[in-house]
Amino acid sequence: MNGADELLLDQAAAWHVASASDSMDWDGFTQWLEADPLHGAAYDEIALADAALDDHRAAVGELSAADAPHPPRKWPMWIGGALAASLAVVAILPEVTAPATQTFASAQTSRTIALSDGSEVVLAPRSRLSVAGRHGNELALDGGALFAVRHDPNRTLSIAAGGLRIVDLGTRFEVQTDGPAVRVQVSEGRVEVRGDALGQPVQLMAGRGILFDPAHQLATVEAVSPADVGEWREGRLTYDAAPLSLVAADLARYAGISVTVPPPLAGRRFSGTLSIHDGDSAVRDLAQLMGLGVSHSGSAYRLAEGG
Amino acid sequence: MAENDSGLAALLEAERGALLRFLAARCGDAAEAEDLLQELWLKAAMTPTGPIANGRAYLFRMANNLMLDRARTRRRAMRRDRAWIDRDDPAKGAAELQRDPAPDAEARLIEAEEAQLIRRAIETLPAGARRALLLYRFEDRGQADIARIMGISRSGVEKHLALAMKHLRRSLADCGYFETAPSAQPETARGQAPKGSSTR
Repeated sequence: MNGADELLLDQAAAWHVASASDSMDWDGFTQWLEADPLHGAAYDEIALADAALDDHRAAVGELSAADAPHPPRKWPMWIGGALAASLAVVAILPEVTAPATQTFASAQTSRTIALSDGSEVVLAPRSRLSVAGRHGNELALDGGALFAVRHDPNRTLSIAAGGLRIVDLGTRFEVQTDGPAVRVQVSEGRVEVRGDALGQPVQLMAGRGILFDPAHQLATVEAVSPADVGEWREGRLTYDAAPLSLVAADLARYAGISVTVPPPLAGRRFSGTLSIHDGDSAVRDLAQLMGLGVSHSGSAYRLAEGG
Repeated sequence: MAENDSGLAALLEAERGALLRFLAARCGDAAEAEDLLQELWLKAAMTPTGPIANGRAYLFRMANNLMLDRARTRRRAMRRDRAWIDRDDPAKGAAELQRDPAPDAEARLIEAEEAQLIRRAIETLPAGARRALLLYRFEDRGQADIARIMGISRSGVEKHLALAMKHLRRSLADCGYFETAPSAQPETARGQAPKGSSTR
C-alpha cells in the first residue's frame, strides 16, 4: 500500500459520502474522475464496499443492537409491542415513538394479510400474527403462516416465533409454532434463524428447514421439498421423520381436532402424507401408518401404543 | 406536456451535457455513456415527480446509482464465474450435473464469510466512525440527523463516514472481494486499469 493509493481512497470515500447530499459538487466529481482512470476504480471499490453493507444488512444488523448500551434482549420482547420497536433506536433517540402493534387472528380458515411493503402472509387457521416496529417490520407469530416477502434492501423483516427469531431477506417460507417449538421451511430465497438457545444464527437456503424444540433440546436442520412448503392450503401435510408431537399440533391447527400424544410417544417420528380435509380420517391414517391405537370422545383423540 | 409529469425528464434535457460527461467519466466509455443516459431518461420519465428539493442533484445521484448497479452486477457475475472455474473439474465434463447443489453451498459460504468480514470490520472501527456508520446504514439516519444525534458538525460526520467506508473497503479488499477476474484477464477495452490489482 503506498501513500498515493491511500490519498486516492481518501478522496474517493469523501466523494462517496458527499454524494448523498444535495450540496454535492457533481461537476467537481466529474473532473476528479476524468483526471485519472484510477480514480473511478477506487471510487467503485468504496461504493461497492458500502453496498456490501446493504447486502449483508440482516446478518450484520445484530451489531447495532449489541452496540447499544442496553442489557441484551430478553424473550419475549413482543410483550408490549411498543417496546419492541428496535431497542437500538430507543437507545439513540429516545423521542422516537413506536406505532401501536396491529394484531391479526384467524379462526377456522386461513386468511391472507398484505403488509405495507407489498409482502404477503397467509395466516394458517387458528393462528395469530402481530405487526409492530417503526417500519411495520417486526412480526410475531403464534401458530402457522406462509410468508412471501418482497426484497427491500432498506428494510429487514424479523419474525419472533416460539423460541426463535427469523430474519428474512426476500423469500418464501413457512413457519409453524407449537409453544416454544418452531418449524421453519424455506421454499425460495434464504432466511436466518436466531435464538438464545442456538449457539449462532443458522442460515437456511431454499429447500432447507429447521426443527427447533427446546423442550427436547432439539435443533435439526433438515432438507425440505419446496413443493411441500405451505401444502396445507391444498389439504395435505407431508412429513419426513417429524416428531409425533409436532404432527399432533399440526392436526389441531389444520384439521381442527385435538390429538393427545402420551409422553412416551411424543418423540416417535412420522414420515408420510396426511390428507387433512377430514380430521377423523387423518388421525386414523396416522395411527395406522404408525402402528398405534386411537381412541376418541367427540373431536378429542388420543393415540396409544399398539393397534 | 404537463410540467409536473415531465419535470425530471425536462431537467435531464437541460443537464444533458453535464450528465453525459459525468457518465462518460464514470464508465470510461463515451458510447456506453450514451446508452446509460438513455436508460436514465427512461427512469426519469417514469419517476412520478413529487417535490424534489434539488432536481439536479437528484438526477446525478440517479446516474451514479445506475453506475453502482452495473458495478455490483459485474462483480457478482465475475465472482460466480470465478467460483465456477475454481470448482470446475474437467474430468467430469457434464456441467449440468455439477451445477446442482454446489453453487448454493458455495454461495452460502461466501455470504457467511462476507457477513463475518463486515461485522469484524465494523467492530474494529474507531468508536465515532462506528457509531456514525451504524446510524447511517443500520438506522437509516441522514447525515444531518447524525450530526445532531452525535452533537458534532456535519463535516465531522462526513469524516467519520469516509473513514468507515475506507476501512470497510480495506477489509474487503484484503480478502479478495474486488478480485473479480479468475485469472489474469485483461480488461483493456475501456482503457481502465483492471479492478483489484490497480489500487494496491
